[in-house]
Amino acid sequence: MFKLIKLEWQKHKISKYIAGAAILIAVLAIFNFAMAFLGIADDSATGVPDMALKHMGISTNVELLTDISFLIFAAVMHATFIISEYKNKTMELMFTYPVSRKKIMLSKIAAVWIFSFVSLAAAKLICYAVVQLGMNFYQNSSFPMDVSLTDPMFYLTTLLKSASTICISFIALFIGMTAKSSKAAIVSSFLLIVLMQGNIGGASLRENIFIPSILTVISLLFAGICVRMAEKKDIT
Amino acid sequence: MKDVLKTSHLTKTVDGKEILSDLNMSVHKGEIYGFLGPNGAGKTTTMKLVTNLWKPTSGEIELFGDKLGPSSHDLLKRMGSMIEFPVFYEELSGEENLKLHCEYMGYYSPDCVGSALDMLDLTGAARQHVKSYSLGMKQRLGIARAVLAKPELLILDEPYNGLDPAGMKKIRDLLKTLCDEYGITILISSHLLSEVENLADTIGIIHHGHMLNELSMQEISEGSLAYIELVTSDVKHTSYILEEKLSVSDFKVMDEGEIRIYDSSISTGTLSRVLSQNNVKIDALKRKNDSLEDYFLKLTAQSEGEGKSYV
Repeated sequence: MFKLIKLEWQKHKISKYIAGAAILIAVLAIFNFAMAFLGIADDSATGVPDMALKHMGISTNVELLTDISFLIFAAVMHATFIISEYKNKTMELMFTYPVSRKKIMLSKIAAVWIFSFVSLAAAKLICYAVVQLGMNFYQNSSFPMDVSLTDPMFYLTTLLKSASTICISFIALFIGMTAKSSKAAIVSSFLLIVLMQGNIGGASLRENIFIPSILTVISLLFAGICVRMAEKKDIT
Repeated sequence: MKDVLKTSHLTKTVDGKEILSDLNMSVHKGEIYGFLGPNGAGKTTTMKLVTNLWKPTSGEIELFGDKLGPSSHDLLKRMGSMIEFPVFYEELSGEENLKLHCEYMGYYSPDCVGSALDMLDLTGAARQHVKSYSLGMKQRLGIARAVLAKPELLILDEPYNGLDPAGMKKIRDLLKTLCDEYGITILISSHLLSEVENLADTIGIIHHGHMLNELSMQEISEGSLAYIELVTSDVKHTSYILEEKLSVSDFKVMDEGEIRIYDSSISTGTLSRVLSQNNVKIDALKRKNDSLEDYFLKLTAQSEGEGKSYV
């Protein structure tokens, strides 16, 4: 199975995606840093963040921005790894190989999930780390640091939240596969974010494990449907 | 194991339309089987069913003596195929595409990629992106991929598409070598009848999803299809003499004063003697063999006629 995943990465030139993810992480880190210390989110009249609710910490920004970015990133990957393979018929070629269709689909989904998950977790950790570092140089932050990088629980929740966020991309994959359109997958990933008001296990749901878990289970169901779709259908 | 591939009562319905009905075919081990039929006859459909890309609506496919089911992936390992136009990962080079194929087929042999590329004159383009390949190059790369893992059964759908005459000859020689030296069984479909005629041991003719006839090339070239071609300016009088004086009834009047006599008992000598005795001016008299093309056209036209009579 791992060999199949590796072949998927090799086929679709994962180095391109590594570069893309690295650039995205850098941009996100700089943006978060600027919001915290350079006051780009501050209202010039009052000098406080004009978008911030009371008691809003740095985690709201980091979670929201990284989740949105990498959910879309995952949808784009699904589009190239799976949907466009149907479109340019390379999927037909894959299905002539002595590997079950289930395994082929699972390896593709896993190839996207693993890569996006690692990137998202890295993005979150790097953003927090950059802000934490900034605290040493700037006295005033527009957003208070509300996570503790020394708490092991922080790492655990970050990993879990990243995992469940990327799972949600399976819903976008399902929509894209049914519509046979890469664009549909990417657009629906936007819509999913809007639907969830950006609260994918974010700060507001931090104490609430219930909603993210339900969403993850639903997403996994959709992934299952996608695999079954590939198994059952004649490809034309 | 005599038959490498055997289908029985194979039927495929798509959107309520039957595109294959009750197809029985058998491909013997070590032969080249030419699969002929007009466009839309069901050749590609049959090949897709055989390679497990499509699932039959009813009927069975037997490969290497085992029944092909949705989960018989091991059988696929013993086949190489190119169906419709070959598809590749266009962003990768030809060489990388072939290497991927080896990985997925679980076939490891040093330099098999190099020799396959060399065999089809693609060594120079090996490192180019497939995106930049011409139609004929893609076709050749597709054939290279199909033969790469030394399959026992090779399935090629219209392999001559987009090839120039030299390329066609190259493929023909290659297929002959594969069959003769490696004992690979080949199922090939083509609309180029003369190519198939030069290559195949057995042909199957399919029309509107029905197998019309399955017979060896030997049967076609021998006996039943030979005829005498007679060209004369007075067709009416000649036909009269043929029927009355020579009691030959198995003949057909073609256009432009040509008569084809299928009766094998009559010799050209008797024919010319009797005709000249009756003052028939003979422009040409020749014993001929039906080409595969004539046979094919006759058979499909017949079935077309039958089809109309049902309506």
